[in-house]
Amino acid sequence: MENIQHYLPKNVKVEIINNIALFEVSVSDIKKIAIGLRAKNLQLNLITAADERETKGGFKIWYVFGIPKQNIFIVPFIRLQNTTKFPSLTPTMHSACNFEKKIHTFFGLTPIGHPDLRPIILHENWPANVFPLRKDFDWQAKVKATHESYQFQKVEGEGIYEIPVGPIHAGIIEPGHFRFSVAGEEIILLEAKLGFVHKGSEKLFEILTLSDKLHLSEKISGDSSFSHSLAFCQAVEQLGDVVPPKRALYLRVIYAELERLANHIGDIGAIMIDTGFNFGGSQGARLKEMIMQINERLSRSRFLRHINTIGGVTKDIFVKEVELLSFDLKKIQKDFSEIIAVAENSTSLLNRLKGTGILLPKIAEDYGALGVAAKAVAILNDARVNFPYAAYSELGFNTIETEMDGDVYARFRVRIKEVYASIELIQNALIKLPNGPIYTPINNILFRKNALSVGIVEGWRGQIIYFITTDAMGNISRVAPCDPSFLNWPLVGEVGPSNVVPDFPLINKSFNLSYSGNDL
Amino acid sequence: MEITMITNIITWILQLIFVPIMAPLCVGITRKLKAKFQNRKGASIFQPYQDLQKLFGKDEIISKDASWIFRCAPYIVFTVTIVVGASIPLFASSINNTITSDLLVIVYTLAIGTFFLALAGIDTGSAFGGFGSSREMTMSALAEGGFIFSLLTMALISNSTNLFMISQNSLLLQGHFFLSTALAFCGFFIIVLAETARFPFDNPSTHLELTMIHEAMILEYSGKKLALMEWASANKLLIFIAIASNLFFPFGLAQDLSASAIILGIIVFTIKIGIFCLVIAILESSIAKFRFFRLPDLLIIAFILNVIAIILIY
Repeated sequence: MENIQHYLPKNVKVEIINNIALFEVSVSDIKKIAIGLRAKNLQLNLITAADERETKGGFKIWYVFGIPKQNIFIVPFIRLQNTTKFPSLTPTMHSACNFEKKIHTFFGLTPIGHPDLRPIILHENWPANVFPLRKDFDWQAKVKATHESYQFQKVEGEGIYEIPVGPIHAGIIEPGHFRFSVAGEEIILLEAKLGFVHKGSEKLFEILTLSDKLHLSEKISGDSSFSHSLAFCQAVEQLGDVVPPKRALYLRVIYAELERLANHIGDIGAIMIDTGFNFGGSQGARLKEMIMQINERLSRSRFLRHINTIGGVTKDIFVKEVELLSFDLKKIQKDFSEIIAVAENSTSLLNRLKGTGILLPKIAEDYGALGVAAKAVAILNDARVNFPYAAYSELGFNTIETEMDGDVYARFRVRIKEVYASIELIQNALIKLPNGPIYTPINNILFRKNALSVGIVEGWRGQIIYFITTDAMGNISRVAPCDPSFLNWPLVGEVGPSNVVPDFPLINKSFNLSYSGNDL
Repeated sequence: MEITMITNIITWILQLIFVPIMAPLCVGITRKLKAKFQNRKGASIFQPYQDLQKLFGKDEIISKDASWIFRCAPYIVFTVTIVVGASIPLFASSINNTITSDLLVIVYTLAIGTFFLALAGIDTGSAFGGFGSSREMTMSALAEGGFIFSLLTMALISNSTNLFMISQNSLLLQGHFFLSTALAFCGFFIIVLAETARFPFDNPSTHLELTMIHEAMILEYSGKKLALMEWASANKLLIFIAIASNLFFPFGLAQDLSASAIILGIIVFTIKIGIFCLVIAILESSIAKFRFFRLPDLLIIAFILNVIAIILIY
């Protein structure tokens, strides 16, 4: 905590809560301070608000910045009393854009100077003056639909035409609307409109009991059930000063990496099938299924649900299972490397992957890209290394797999490298798995009062964050989950133009973002 | 005299119904083989028949913006494949059809089908239909040159533009003009893949609406009309396989109208179909689909191969 001094402005009262340095700044200063922190190479992880009008007479907005490698968060916050306006950071810091839009839509607070205040997630059918995350909005309230229209960006000119795609697609995937403006086959502009799977999860987090909150976190994005619940548990454990036993930390690494393996291998296969390379596609699906069945064998859940609990995990891996798992992984690794060798030798496949959907590093940086998309442009962004949790640092995990080119092939390669790294990690963790209990028994968990915590986990898509606050009674008053999809979705819109329309599904698949995790 | 009449009639009936009866099987076999190559069990080879039966039993939904073109197109497209299917050598080269078996008649009758298919795709105003039609027209315009020139190569070799005559003559010309025939076949094979919406041009099993060509045009169809469209595209596949196998590899074709020759002809033809299905299945399991802008290159290669084939004749 000593070496954070130079990140903090002078003359502020800093409160230290675990690994968080919290301080209040005046509304007029926030812009300068946030930009200052960003200039010191801190990553803007989250901007979120809470309605504290009843208890403290105003709204609060937190700006969560993480210091990589130190696992420390600098959190300046502002209070809005008797006003619903706050200065927008977007004109100078683009990664703030969607966070501010979301605060605008859900809390009715206006970021002054924001270039695009169209609603996000809530659609034009939702009345513009009803703000669901304010405390005075009843979660069960039925809202009368309005019928406004949503203005997409327009491209005009000879031969330009618009194609509306979705929200319902020909395949069985999540719903999302894409508006293409094309000249012939070439994409000129691509705009996504999401929000079709908005479930009011953030509001629900305020209502549910603690154990139901945990279950809800597993459903934020079904394919990342384990990572999401892990991030939630870590945040809650910090608030309640619960320390999970060592064996639990190792088991969490094993389960988290199994989740990554299943999804990465599934994606690698899906990328190949989208180019029509059927061999790779069916083999990818086969290997993914093998891992899902291992998951089921270990935990009775193919998606690794109901494993995480506050204070540890509920499912142990026994000695006999350790050997079997290690054996299975060796087999999967062998098959996987054979499949990749075939894929890397297919000129027709590589021709489709290389040079398609290039993400420029500058754009990735400006949008605050996370996970696979960031790693494919050599941005060293991996919470397992930058904000080590569970047993990652004890296992000596310190390499972030990256690629340079930012095209579909680079994202494909990042996944392949991470698959090998994950298998190695699991094997390593299985060898070093310490003995002992798998959870810390807790009867009546008491949270710190007026506190906050940040749970951070590198899911297979990228960094997942849970931001949790408690009130003066020590009850959880606000849970703000942030799936990497929320920050990465705008990248898909940036990458589309100058590619041909038939390549878009492939580009989209190479990102494979969660609609549910974005829409919450 | 009586018996010749009867065999003649039977042969003609067989010639007429062979394509629509066998075409779904041809699709079924290709799918089954593809499944095997991908470590899957795959559906029965008779599944396409059951699919057709299912679709014929279903109601249709037709957009209120659809015009008569949308309603008529399936019948026109289907009829075209029946007419062409009856006008090409399938199992016998001895049938003498001088009306519809000319190569130009065949090529442009098929073009009528494509024309109405593309119109139907645009007709409802759906974005995907328009995409499919525009892509299909680009491809068929580029494929046309290669298509005609490969048939022309064979016509020049056998001094006739009647497909039955070509398949008969080249039977007698085995060994001669080998290089020309081989080049023309390579060119024609590329055209087969393009015209029947197979790899690397189109992916018949994709669910990605943005990448479709043929499937995008028939996306708005349902029920009976969809069944006709599906059936027609299966017919088209068999028609192209028949032309490819009987013009370039004309052995086993029945030379007279005796029952034994006809039966042998059918057996040999069925084996040829199986081989072509196998080749297509291998192709679709081992390569990725090409990027759309690389497709014209491939079609131009087909054209050039045929030009060389023609030059080599003289």
